[in-house]
Amino acid sequence: MIKYHPNQDLLTLHAKGELPLSLSIAVSAHCELCPECAEKVAALTIASSEESFSLAQLSTDNGNMDEVLDTDLEALLADMMSDDTLESAAINLLPAEDTAPTRAVTNIKGQDYTLPWAFRQQINNQWQGIGKVSRLRLETGEAKARASLLHIAENGEIPQHSHKGEELTLLLAGEFSDEYNTYTAGDFMVLNSEHEHSPKTIEGCLCYTVVDAPLYFTKGISKLLNPIGELIY
Amino acid sequence: MENFQSQSVQNRYDKSMLSKNTKVIDTAMKSDDTDKNEAQYLAQLMEQVANQRSKAAFAKLFAHFSPKIRAFGVQRLSQQGLAMDLVQETMTRVWTKAHLYNADKAAVSTWVFTVMRNQCFDMLRKVQNNREDAFGDDIWPLFESDESDETDNDFKLSATLLKHVDDLPPLQKQVVQGIYMQELTQQELADKLKVPIGTVKSRLRLGLEKLKGFMEKHYD
Ligand SMILES: [Zn+2]
Repeated sequence: MIKYHPNQDLLTLHAKGELPLSLSIAVSAHCELCPECAEKVAALTIASSEESFSLAQLSTDNGNMDEVLDTDLEALLADMMSDDTLESAAINLLPAEDTAPTRAVTNIKGQDYTLPWAFRQQINNQWQGIGKVSRLRLETGEAKARASLLHIAENGEIPQHSHKGEELTLLLAGEFSDEYNTYTAGDFMVLNSEHEHSPKTIEGCLCYTVVDAPLYFTKGISKLLNPIGELIY
Repeated sequence: MENFQSQSVQNRYDKSMLSKNTKVIDTAMKSDDTDKNEAQYLAQLMEQVANQRSKAAFAKLFAHFSPKIRAFGVQRLSQQGLAMDLVQETMTRVWTKAHLYNADKAAVSTWVFTVMRNQCFDMLRKVQNNREDAFGDDIWPLFESDESDETDNDFKLSATLLKHVDDLPPLQKQVVQGIYMQELTQQELADKLKVPIGTVKSRLRLGLEKLKGFMEKHYD
């Protein structure tokens, strides 16, 4: 059973689309494994759609600017209706719709892992590693966070990171445990430099990890004000 | 039906006028009903877009959502031009992905919000990281679960589609087969056939319209 979940703030920011890619992938993948959080995100999405669209109402209700802009929107609509934009858009998308998209599969040490939807276009690099530890880097385009898949073969140890930031770990398959707990697929947690522990896996495991440079998440894509650790249990 | 629709539009105007004048006593009583009517009205429009490709219904959805999307875009993207791009991209997807909307699972406004949020996510990455990628729909899939059903359905549709491909005129058949069976892009196909991409598009459109006709007969 999943014991560690993203907290409410993180789920809310995810529903609004305000997290950077590396974290959006983590929350999305967790929700695919955790019906409980998936339901919360669905409710938060309704709430934020109401919030966004009613805010919009207020800001378009005032003043002269509105009229000018309405002309813009009218022009855009006329444009879309007249020059076949809609039809050619439909045609461009049709083949892709017909060949239903599938989840990405990655093979490491002779085992195939089917990954959550969020990884569909993210597995473009090769696995690299020494001994029991293998890593596949994702190209998220974020300068200050590194996202990767981490595979530990059976009876291996999770490597400890050696920097001041924090590390988000989402267990995707298998198990690992430390002196406090056993973690199962779907568990979403932070291992930071203060936690002196060395998790081990018996059967082997596949994780998704995001390592942030200190304070990265105070900038980034969103208006996040908290370091990653405060957003996660 | 027409009456009901124009009535409902009228209500919305009334509501916004009243709230501006702060005379909200009456509307407070009515607003639950009005919201429900509005939701039903929007759902009807979506259905007309999905099933009949109704441009009139699309224009009404556009009138309802585009100011909201633009306001969201101004806030999130902080550039007027980008906000208009967001309106265009979002509404184009509402048109092309209308068949993915499921009235049992979400209100139209929630669904349009998700389309917009996903699009905005990709646009922000483009602005901030100069990345031309489209990951939003992977992170928040627009179709919700029921995967087995969906795959089943797709399979049946493709099988039906393929069965009728042979009935198409040769030039249309060539294009439909290239796109669907050999999974070529339109550009690749245009290069291969040595025709302009516009020709590929128009043959494909004609072919698909004809196939759609076959399939409608098939399902009737
Ligand atoms: Zn959860």
